[in-house]
Amino acid sequence: MTDFWNRTRKLTAAQQYFGLANSLICRGHGKVHQGNVVWEFEARPTLLSRTYRVRIRYQERKGSPLVYVVDPDLSGLAKGRRVPHVYEQKPARLCLYLPRTGQWSPDLRIVDTIVPWTYLWLFYFEEWLVSDEWKGGGEHPSPEEKLACAERNGFE
Amino acid sequence: MLAVDALLRKVQLTGLLEMLCQEVELTDSQIEDAKKHYEAVGSWLTSASLLYPSLIYPQGSISLRTTVRPIGQEEYDVDLVCLVNGLSDSTSPTDLKQHIGDLLKTNGQYKDILEEKPRCWRLNYAKKFHLDITPSIPNPRCMQGGELVPNKLPDRRISGWKPTNPKGYQKWFDENGKLQPRFRLTEDALAKARAGVEAIPEQKGFKGLLRRCVQLCKHHRNEMFANRKDRDNAPISIILTTLASKSYAYCCTSSVVHDTELDLLVEVVRSMPRFIEVSEVGNRRYYNIPNKTTQGENFAEKWNADENLARTFFTWQKEAVAVFEKMAELSGLDEVASHFSKSFGDSVSKRAIGRLTTAISEARPRGLLSVIPGVGLSVGVARSNPVRSNTFFGA
Repeated sequence: MTDFWNRTRKLTAAQQYFGLANSLICRGHGKVHQGNVVWEFEARPTLLSRTYRVRIRYQERKGSPLVYVVDPDLSGLAKGRRVPHVYEQKPARLCLYLPRTGQWSPDLRIVDTIVPWTYLWLFYFEEWLVSDEWKGGGEHPSPEEKLACAERNGFE
Repeated sequence: MLAVDALLRKVQLTGLLEMLCQEVELTDSQIEDAKKHYEAVGSWLTSASLLYPSLIYPQGSISLRTTVRPIGQEEYDVDLVCLVNGLSDSTSPTDLKQHIGDLLKTNGQYKDILEEKPRCWRLNYAKKFHLDITPSIPNPRCMQGGELVPNKLPDRRISGWKPTNPKGYQKWFDENGKLQPRFRLTEDALAKARAGVEAIPEQKGFKGLLRRCVQLCKHHRNEMFANRKDRDNAPISIILTTLASKSYAYCCTSSVVHDTELDLLVEVVRSMPRFIEVSEVGNRRYYNIPNKTTQGENFAEKWNADENLARTFFTWQKEAVAVFEKMAELSGLDEVASHFSKSFGDSVSKRAIGRLTTAISEARPRGLLSVIPGVGLSVGVARSNPVRSNTFFGA
């Protein structure tokens, strides 16, 4: 059933937390409190890759998950180059989806969307370290979009 | 869990080395092309009434399927033997060689691309390959069906015949290649463990373990010596091939159980020196790497005239062990890529690793990408945790 009402029913922070806590692809720890979720886990995009510690913060009220790579320091690995497709460089906050396109919406499970995209992002990041070319595709925001995005995601 | 994890990483590294080998070896069509040409030379020599029935056949890397593309040179070598039956070793090797050369010169097609070498005739097919044709006669004293070829002295002069046995060697090499090493995981268990990695295409491990070991040694040698002053001292292919083959047979028949093909590769290269026979007379060392398929052929003969050659071999071997051993410790595609580039050359390494990226990038829009716990991104088994379509946004 993918009728209109189901599609737009937001998942609660607790539901998102439950999804993350019960998945084998993002085993870690976190908490859920008053509509806020923090989840930290280790992700290794391929067998030949590094293991990255990732932190997801989600505010039910705002509806956009923030994804940080807390360790290792990506800008250190980039050796002076600007890391592509991030909102912030340090710690790197990843741009994983195109806003307002329905790729992400609060009725989707973070564990089914944001988490796999994080793996994919990390894969292309390592590839970028090698080739200096972002092969993951994507779009760059206009200045207005950047601003809107920052406001929407203001979490700190 | 951790142990399986380490095994799977090594399986994936082996897959990457396999791709590398595919990048550096001659293609089937290149080999077919060479074959067409040398068969034509063979027919010509026979029809041009060489006094005795003769046979042209390939020896060395083409017949062993251990080719590696040379670095910085467009043409690759195709080593051929022109076996002339019915001649005894009282025949002068210089005369026989001259006779073959004279016949080749009577053919307008060959006349202009013919080049004389101390022991053989070379046909230069520009931008393709050289056919090196070495005359040989049967060796009546070899019980294993060996042959005799002109003996080249250090000053490049030819003096008499020396024993060799290309066909016997090929048979010996192929027999060794058929030996199966013992791995800790059974094929079945490994197949299950691989299920995730499988995904990334061509992760099936080495195609022919022994020949891949030889190719990796040879290619690493080429790369290591490409810009060194002592590159003329680099260990020759027949020595790498023989020692790898003996070492491989040893690793297969010993009671040692290897974790993965990568561990076996390390062990094969590490054990190579065991098969160099060294004897000391006074202050001098004598090296012998015998050809097991005939009497009296020592592949390390030149080492006894110039000990630098032996030293250079050991320098290469130590470095090669370190290169293959280090692989398991690398973390990050970027670290893997830079290690490969340093050890095997930038462009072939990038192409090998690029195949991994391409596999993932092509699977993504087709919805064939998923995340497997403990493995990461996988292609083609999108049963759980599929990676949905997304667009990376941001600066």
